[in-house]
Amino acid sequence: MRLTTFNKLFVALLASAMLAACSSKPTEEDTYETTQPVVEQQPPATTEPVIQQRPTRPDYSNIPLTAENYHNHPSHYDGTTDSRIIYFAFDRSEVPAAAFDTLRAHASHLKSNRNARVRLEGHTDERGTREYNVALSERRSKAVEQFLRVQGVSASQLETVSYGEEKPAARGSDELSWAKNRRVELNYTSGRP
Amino acid sequence: MRQWIAIIVMGWLSLMGTPLAHASLVIEITQGRDDAVPIAVVPFQASGGQPAEDVAAIVAADLHRSGQFRPLPVGDLLSRPSRGEDIIWRDFRVMKTDYVVLGRVQPQGEGEYRIEYELHDVARGARLLGASYTAGRGQLRDVAHSIADRVFEQLTGIQGAFSTKILYVTVNERDDYPFQLQYADADGHRAQTILRSREPIMSPSWSPDGSHVAYVSFESDGLPKIYVHELATSQRRVVSSERGINGAPAWSPDGAQLALTLSRDGNPQIYTLDLASGQLTRQTNSRAIDTEPRWLPDGRSLIFTSSRGGGPQIYRLDLSDKSVRRLTFEGRYNARPDITPDGRHLVFVHRTDRGFQIGVQDLKRGTFNVVTGTNMDESPSVAPNGTMIIYGTQEGGTGVLEAVSIDGRVKVNLPSKEGEVREPAWSPFL
Repeated sequence: MRLTTFNKLFVALLASAMLAACSSKPTEEDTYETTQPVVEQQPPATTEPVIQQRPTRPDYSNIPLTAENYHNHPSHYDGTTDSRIIYFAFDRSEVPAAAFDTLRAHASHLKSNRNARVRLEGHTDERGTREYNVALSERRSKAVEQFLRVQGVSASQLETVSYGEEKPAARGSDELSWAKNRRVELNYTSGRP
Repeated sequence: MRQWIAIIVMGWLSLMGTPLAHASLVIEITQGRDDAVPIAVVPFQASGGQPAEDVAAIVAADLHRSGQFRPLPVGDLLSRPSRGEDIIWRDFRVMKTDYVVLGRVQPQGEGEYRIEYELHDVARGARLLGASYTAGRGQLRDVAHSIADRVFEQLTGIQGAFSTKILYVTVNERDDYPFQLQYADADGHRAQTILRSREPIMSPSWSPDGSHVAYVSFESDGLPKIYVHELATSQRRVVSSERGINGAPAWSPDGAQLALTLSRDGNPQIYTLDLASGQLTRQTNSRAIDTEPRWLPDGRSLIFTSSRGGGPQIYRLDLSDKSVRRLTFEGRYNARPDITPDGRHLVFVHRTDRGFQIGVQDLKRGTFNVVTGTNMDESPSVAPNGTMIIYGTQEGGTGVLEAVSIDGRVKVNLPSKEGEVREPAWSPFL
């Protein structure tokens, strides 16, 4: 009884420590990735209740959604083909870890439906010059293309389009609007899941 | 100290019954020079009823917008001569006016006018210029801009650019066709839509003779293609539809080629396209982003933005030996270059800790200045006489156009009535 209470307290402390670590990280790229290994690193004796408490989907209810963690926030990615927008950190074009399961689901759909075609539409926020942003958005759509190719998707099923800052998802010149605009949208032109 | 003037020039034009096209821009001079030359532009004498346009008011607005002249308010005129021999010199000397422009507009036949003007030097009591025009009702603005060009050139030694045009992109989400490419006089009047689309339109570029425009349009299935569009006929053709990016077209000074950005071979690189043969030639060879090319006036070099050194900086490519030299070193973000017609000043987007501003670098002396004070400035385009830069910026969360003199001393706003205005491109002399 006491031990369980202690364990619960320990988990709570651990969780808050993780959150603190997240918010103080200057590069938001890794925030969610770093949280998972910490949970797994716990010694077996004390982890049992922790493992039971760990949901099959990450529990992100107490991770606030900010401009810094927006791209890697689990709330955008449900791990199925229903999630069709991948977000990116400022000035970055790496696929965020939180989107991996979602992209794997798209890859498996594309592999089992050879007539399915998806267009990967890359976007940036409004900062910077327009044509340079077109080039930056292509890096993002190509990063998603590369991820799907590594999963075994045929190149003929994929097409990239680079819109730069021309088609923002959110109006506004604030950090959160910018975070919403740094994205790649997966648009199926045939064989929609 | 710089004087801050806020005069809505076009406001008083519209009071005179000038029909404003719905999409016209409204010019405001937000910062003038205190050494601007005082000049009186006397309302032209109209016989046989008021003409459709107030020619003198347009001349005065043009001269004012250059920042180099300070037209005397019409209400301050002590006399309103319409001929040189009627000038009472004292009336202009007491107002400390250096020059007087005056003239006459007379109806002549069916819907035609005869317009005469004169320019006089008050100190010497001498006539400097005089000419006459015959024009239809729809050409009165052209005549006014032409008079302003001649007065400007006579008094500054620099060819006037008031008769030129601008292209720009407007975006209005409430419109069925939100993206439009527009064409207007350099003062924002007589705007016409060249192209409307549900998908983005980008990077308009003038042919050197002003007859054609190249641009990027995503109208075809959402994919970018480069079009060449003849303004007089609205005939157009696709000149580039490669896989990946088709972007940033820039016309060569001889009109025979376009420089452009393609990613068909991997990363975005600069190519040239021979318009007659369709022959493509890759010009840059980097693993980085190379884009936003512009030709130097001699047609032998390109300037462009490249990330080859990490962040974006501006480089110069010699087309004969393909050698590349970095031009910008100030700050970590310099992009989207343009060049003055004499090849001396590089104009580009420069990032500071306040945001994005327009920077001007003197390539001869190596000096660098930030000439704008706003913080989302982009797409600078230099007037064909090299005196002013028009650029896009944001005001109240929406895109607007502004212009600044190359030395940063004069600033002019062109606020839009509705929707965003962006990516201005100043025409060559027409």
